[in-house]
Amino acid sequence: MKTIKLFTLLAIFIGFSPCSVNDDEPTLLEVETELVSNFYAPQLGGQGQPVSGDFTKFDFTTGAVTTSTDEWDIAFRGTDIIINGGTSSGETDEPARTGNVAAYIANGTMASVTMVDASLLDQDTLNAHVLANWYTYSGPPNHLILPTAGKILVIKTRDGKYAKIEILSYYKDAPENPNAYSDEDRYFTFNYEYNPNEGEITFQ
Amino acid sequence: MRPIFLFILTFFVISKSYSQVDPVLVNDTLSVNELNEVLITATRTYRQLSSLPLPAQIITKKEIKETNRTRLNNILNEQTGLITVQNFIGGEGIQMQGLGSEYTLVLVDGVPLVGRSAGTLDISRLAVGNIKQIEIVKGASSSLYGSEALGGVINIITDNPKKNGFNGDINYNYGTFNTRDANLNLDYKKDKFSINTFINRNSSDGYDLINAVDANTIDPYSNYTFNTKVNYDLNNNTKLYASGRYFLQDQDYIPTETEVGKIKVNEWNTHLKVNHKYSEKWSSYFEFYATRYKAEDYLNNVSDNTLFSASDYNELLVRPEVRATYNPNDKTAFIAGIGLDHETLVRTDFATNPEFNSPYAYFQYDGNPNEKVNIILGARFDKHNAYKSQFSPKGAIRYKLNDNLAIKGSVGYGFKAPDFRQLYFDLAGIAGYTILGYNSVSSRIPEMLANGEIEDESDILVPLSLFNDKLKPESSISYNLGVDYKPTSSLKLGLNLFRNDIQDLIDTQLIANKVNGSGVYSYYNVNKAFTQGLEFNTTWRTSNNLRISGGYQLLFAKEKEAIELFKNGQAFASTPGSPSFQLNENDYFGLYNRSKHMANLKIFYNFSKHNLTTNLRANYRSKYGLFDTNSNGYLDTYDDFVGAYTLWNWAINKTFYNNYEIGFGIDNIFDFTDTPEYENDSVFIGNIPGRIIYAKLNFKF
Repeated sequence: MKTIKLFTLLAIFIGFSPCSVNDDEPTLLEVETELVSNFYAPQLGGQGQPVSGDFTKFDFTTGAVTTSTDEWDIAFRGTDIIINGGTSSGETDEPARTGNVAAYIANGTMASVTMVDASLLDQDTLNAHVLANWYTYSGPPNHLILPTAGKILVIKTRDGKYAKIEILSYYKDAPENPNAYSDEDRYFTFNYEYNPNEGEITFQ
Repeated sequence: MRPIFLFILTFFVISKSYSQVDPVLVNDTLSVNELNEVLITATRTYRQLSSLPLPAQIITKKEIKETNRTRLNNILNEQTGLITVQNFIGGEGIQMQGLGSEYTLVLVDGVPLVGRSAGTLDISRLAVGNIKQIEIVKGASSSLYGSEALGGVINIITDNPKKNGFNGDINYNYGTFNTRDANLNLDYKKDKFSINTFINRNSSDGYDLINAVDANTIDPYSNYTFNTKVNYDLNNNTKLYASGRYFLQDQDYIPTETEVGKIKVNEWNTHLKVNHKYSEKWSSYFEFYATRYKAEDYLNNVSDNTLFSASDYNELLVRPEVRATYNPNDKTAFIAGIGLDHETLVRTDFATNPEFNSPYAYFQYDGNPNEKVNIILGARFDKHNAYKSQFSPKGAIRYKLNDNLAIKGSVGYGFKAPDFRQLYFDLAGIAGYTILGYNSVSSRIPEMLANGEIEDESDILVPLSLFNDKLKPESSISYNLGVDYKPTSSLKLGLNLFRNDIQDLIDTQLIANKVNGSGVYSYYNVNKAFTQGLEFNTTWRTSNNLRISGGYQLLFAKEKEAIELFKNGQAFASTPGSPSFQLNENDYFGLYNRSKHMANLKIFYNFSKHNLTTNLRANYRSKYGLFDTNSNGYLDTYDDFVGAYTLWNWAINKTFYNNYEIGFGIDNIFDFTDTPEYENDSVFIGNIPGRIIYAKLNFKF
């Protein structure tokens, strides 16, 4: 018994001792936390007609919309979200993949997804877009597109940096009680965190 | 908490004041009446209610008349553990032991009603003016009745002429929202022959709970019920019975400002029965039943009066059945039956015109091995051409400890066959989505690929091979354990614990993405759920004049998978426009439309000197959720709920010169309504219109 007590005490002391700081490590850039509002991603067609129209592309390096054919990480059109990595599924007006972006959808909150699990990273294929299942269609009578709670989009950007996104709304000005009949849709509001340090897989 | 407190307070204040005014008279005829209460639903033989090993209840004609109820949903909503739930097209379906309308069998004189166009059987279409009693048996009863009898059975027993000669009555009820209900009962009986005709007309201007929208919550409607029954006893041993019922309803259908239309419902039932007694011990019944339910609706564009949409539904059920009973002594009864259900449906948005054929056989033993023990054992087999055949056993036992106390328990299997919709739907929704029945998937998906509605194989999310098998019926095992306690001849207490373990619940899932950005949905077996709780009922008759009854149901209704998900921290919630957060196991609320607590209190008083009866009834229901409002697919504590409420109803009736009666009453005295809080808010109670004041006239001849 006595030995066990001693060990426990020892363990507690070690646990409380301050961590040593390694001064040789290079200083890392801070993780960027941003809120993007009313990111407009229109589509043509729908409601029984074939969908077409340009995707609205987003670049994490600049944190802005882009029309570049190469310098983009993810792109939106209606409820479709694609990444600049993998192969095109061949939908009308779907851009060619020129980068090596990879992604997955994590279950959790922005706070709980603290680290990238590289083993889950995947790319768009002919068969599926990796970021397809971010929303829930409420069906009748409201017919709303609502971001499914607890879905965090984790992305490895084209230059090997990591970002995570939580989509908050599909409707203009992110109303608390959206109305599919009167609120304009295809206006994304999302939170994202971007770690500008290459290969750094944590978000802290 | 407050409504419960109010309840208890009222209970004590009123019971105390009455017991002071009125000397307590215990009349022995009361308990004799109770012993005579007999029902047929529980065993398909006439059976004394008080000695039954199953949880069951009888609602008498007297209660229906004294409370001035005109439709079945009104009277059932005042019973312990029963509540009607409105479906999205306005039908009122019953919930029993926490199981929804799809899982409760509704019979009229022992034969089922059809017409579950959206799963729900709308019981507001049933008039109650010709009812002798309503029998309610709780717990799975598929061992006698087959499909749909998971939660229990409600059997409406209509009245037969009792006196020789020509008799009848006229009843007229008029109330708020221009609600009119007119009844005519005509009876003729001469010894071995009797005929009864019942005619009812019911209409209302409907009501509107949402002022901001131009559509009514309930649109104006009117309906007619015609029912004729003939009984003829060929001799002492052979009896003939024939019944015909016809129901017709016309309702406005005005969902928006720009479209206007009508919904028409047409239903007929015919029921023929020959009953022959071979000896004191042997009897047989030959029965033939057919019913058709038709519903048609259309919508026209207001601007140019062109057709916007139309749909129709036409279901037919034909059932021949033969059964025999054998009573070796007055304490033992055997019953066995064979029959066939033939069902067809013609419906808009269906891939085919399906046909179901299901022969079945059942057997039951009901006996008393000794003075104290009653046992029921039974089983039924249903063979089916479109889903997996079912074997449904059931066993029940009642043990009488002494004259005041008995315990009873039962275990039974119940199932609900997949309905036509779940098998054969081919619906293209206005918003671009498609819903396919399970059996339509393997043929329709390749077609949609070929015609370009689905772009390529990659858009098919669920392997089509999963749809090669037969869809399994939803099934449950139900357990009931109860105690009947009668401390005195005037006081009766009953407690029942129940649990229904449900398997293979049928749900919808997204199976493919369409080119138009919408999806293809179909049905699949996946979920396991349970409902469990307790039911408590008490009746106290202080005298012939005063009767007080109270009831309470505690209910937990949950999906097993969801419990795990919440426990493992895999459930999240968010309000639109805000970040998600994690939920824990205490945050899971359970299934939609279920209240944890439901209670009722009823006080009936009879001023016999003045031929006057009056009653006050209160019904309490705790908060419940209508659907998921924070996009995680489950009902959790952060969702929007409908709040708890209590409805108070009062009625008074006075009889003059034996044959004339006038009545008056107020339903929902405190004018409770729950209306939308903002535009597009769907979390509100659509089937409580507010206070209804009515008057009634009745004339017997």
